[in-house]
Amino acid sequence: MAAPRTNSTTPSGAPRPATAATPGTTAGVPGPLAPRRAVVVGGNRIPFARAGGAYVRASNQDMLTAAIDGLVARFGLQGERIGEVAAGAVLKHSRDFNLARESVLGSALSPETPAYDLQQACATGIEAVVQLTNKIRLGQIESGIAGGVDSTSDAPIAVSDRLRRALLDLSRARTTGAKLAAVAKLRPKDLAPAAPRTNEPRTGLSMGEHQALTTAQWNITREAQDELALASHQRLAAAYDAGFFDDLVTPFRGLPKDQNLRADTSLEKLAKLRPTFGLGLSTPATMTAGNSTPLTDGASTVLVASDEWAAAHDLPVLATFVDAEAAAVDFVHGKDGLLMGGAFAVPRLLARNGLTLDDFDIVEIHEAFAATVLSTLAAWEDEEFCRARLGLEGAFGKVDRDRLNVHGSSLAAGHPFAATGGRIVATAAKILAEKKAALDPSEGDRPVRALISICAAGGLAVTAILEAA
Amino acid sequence: MGRAEPSGGRPLVEVALPGVPGLGGLYARGLAASARKAVGARVGALGIGGRARGAFGAGGGLPDVAYLVRDVRADAERLTEYQHLLGESASDVLPAGFVHVLAFPVATALMTRADFPLPLLGMVHLANRVEQRRPVTLGDTLDVRAHARGLRAHRSGTQVELVTEVRVSGTGADSVPAWRGVSTYLARGVRIAGLDTSTPDVSDVSDVSDVSDVSDVSDDARSRDRGGSDTSRERAPTSHVSDEARVGDRGGSDTSRRSAFEPPLPTGQWRLAADVGRRYAGVSGDVNPIHLSAPTARTLGFPRAIAHGMYTASRALATVGAARTDAFTWSVEFAKPVLLPGTVAVRVAEERDRFEYAVWNGRSGKLHLTGDVVPH
Repeated sequence: MAAPRTNSTTPSGAPRPATAATPGTTAGVPGPLAPRRAVVVGGNRIPFARAGGAYVRASNQDMLTAAIDGLVARFGLQGERIGEVAAGAVLKHSRDFNLARESVLGSALSPETPAYDLQQACATGIEAVVQLTNKIRLGQIESGIAGGVDSTSDAPIAVSDRLRRALLDLSRARTTGAKLAAVAKLRPKDLAPAAPRTNEPRTGLSMGEHQALTTAQWNITREAQDELALASHQRLAAAYDAGFFDDLVTPFRGLPKDQNLRADTSLEKLAKLRPTFGLGLSTPATMTAGNSTPLTDGASTVLVASDEWAAAHDLPVLATFVDAEAAAVDFVHGKDGLLMGGAFAVPRLLARNGLTLDDFDIVEIHEAFAATVLSTLAAWEDEEFCRARLGLEGAFGKVDRDRLNVHGSSLAAGHPFAATGGRIVATAAKILAEKKAALDPSEGDRPVRALISICAAGGLAVTAILEAA
Repeated sequence: MGRAEPSGGRPLVEVALPGVPGLGGLYARGLAASARKAVGARVGALGIGGRARGAFGAGGGLPDVAYLVRDVRADAERLTEYQHLLGESASDVLPAGFVHVLAFPVATALMTRADFPLPLLGMVHLANRVEQRRPVTLGDTLDVRAHARGLRAHRSGTQVELVTEVRVSGTGADSVPAWRGVSTYLARGVRIAGLDTSTPDVSDVSDVSDVSDVSDVSDDARSRDRGGSDTSRERAPTSHVSDEARVGDRGGSDTSRRSAFEPPLPTGQWRLAADVGRRYAGVSGDVNPIHLSAPTARTLGFPRAIAHGMYTASRALATVGAARTDAFTWSVEFAKPVLLPGTVAVRVAEERDRFEYAVWNGRSGKLHLTGDVVPH
């Protein structure tokens, strides 16, 4: 009898089915272990730098190696053979096809640590956590390091399509005539380099222009966006001041904390900035450099493991990585906004786990733009949207702002695309551990949970639930 | 010469051509013939010369022939280049717009005949409608048949429809074509005496394609529209095409949305480089000088090169993507030409049973084209 393929919905509140193979009911060889939990042990990242800033000459491999080595130092992993390292970058040189493995080889980890690259736009970092924790839950590995890195300062520049074709034809040419013919097709303008573009390939719109459409659709005001941006800076600054990041961030290249952080910004300063996106729309342009994330360089890592591995290494565990859900929207035909995938993924994720928004102590919504967060919240509060697009009975719910991005997020920290997932997972796991430890005895041993939602290019989003261990 | 057969109510003599003619040569021939025809037609309009009335009998002034080319095949390299340029996946299914560029030279050849009443050069593409019954694939051997119909007086000149049918060889000339295109053209300023003038123009904003005043005509057209929205249905292109063209049509495109075009929220934008016309000419063979460069376009009255209408419509079709399914009707009406280089705002969105699309100038709000794709 085949194991049921249900990996999704169970009736609300029902316990999750023991997924996949139940020993004894599956034909053939049973898996090594029934599913078990996977935990977040900790994380380490380098401070995020503004493009052209402190890491201007550092490569993706340099930064990822630095982030891994910081993690190794924190948790005493010198020479350790980790089950697997999964990491990726969004803007990637073609020579970096084995970026994760090359970074491992350059790190203090055992050179016998396997590694692989993955890429899911801005969800790369969190997807690495999802994949490694799944392997841990299945018993395939005992430990893993999920990583992400991006450099906009060292972005890959390619040659034009015509020059590339000519060069490839030239390399295949056998005769002098064929070689001359390959080169003869070239025109001077073919020699101009092709820089990577962040425009969506199918719409030609930049991410900011896409968000501007969504911002207009949900009537998100300039004031609301600036307030969210201000809160992000103030909360991140406060967390640094309180020493929260002391065991999450390792200085690199003389940079002690995130270069984009403006502890002294104010609503007045933010209000003075000129709008940069949505200028061509009939609605007011509200998105500025202040309430949008800047281009950033940086790297992050997260150490995940089985309980057994953590105990054997005498390491504490911060949180359980409970479940994850990805979603995608059809922004090409204007059905939903490019960055609204999270609005769809989260309700599915919570339904599967029998949870509501009120069951979460903290909610982390990646601040690609302030308006991305606000559009998502507006959608969840909108009865018509939730009925028509999410198939719910009414509004999905409201997120208490005191629980939202409590130590700041990407607007203040910056957003090196693939590194954001690791930053958020490690930050959330540590907050959960702190909150669990600080629970009032009257609350008993209630679960302390975090919800994470990270939007990505291509209409993608990856969302996850963490629970204090 | 082949057998006569009915088409659009009049008997046509089928003429088999040895192969698909090259458009470059056709334009060269058309250039010579165009001046003569334009003069002749104008004289005819004055009623002092031109054709004898008898020539307008069954064909309404059009040659009573259909051109046929057998065993046409797509070239894989050209197909790939087309697909990459238009944003289609490089599948072995020919995009409907690629079938158009493969087949349309046969219709163009018809327009260069000495007895075709309108000049080829300077013709303005007003509208296009393609019905794809089933996908045509690379490796299919195709029979292409083209004839002209619907010669009518238009407010700005004379319009005509070119009907191109594509059948997979061996399926029989009487079978429903796999692909069928109807292209509506306007010969500006050409008046032919004795033509039916009672039929409304194919497109009430057609004169925005006026080459001499590209910049300001659509305001004119829009202001006229505001007073006439109640008749917009009558002016829809689907309202006066023959019954055979309606097969598969589920109500036609709702052209009333074009009345007083109000730019919607875009879903995308196209940055069109200066060489887009040359690149589309490379994959389509349509080397009409108005698309190739500013100097060649200026000789024909445009300030700069303009994008091929079918390039823009085909990009919209590519944006609809696989949701168009294997069988669909794809319509477009062209308004103001897109000057190159240029950036235009685009909306391609699902509305009930179809995808509607519009392309406009994001700054001025003036419409370039609008159309829809209706899965069957």
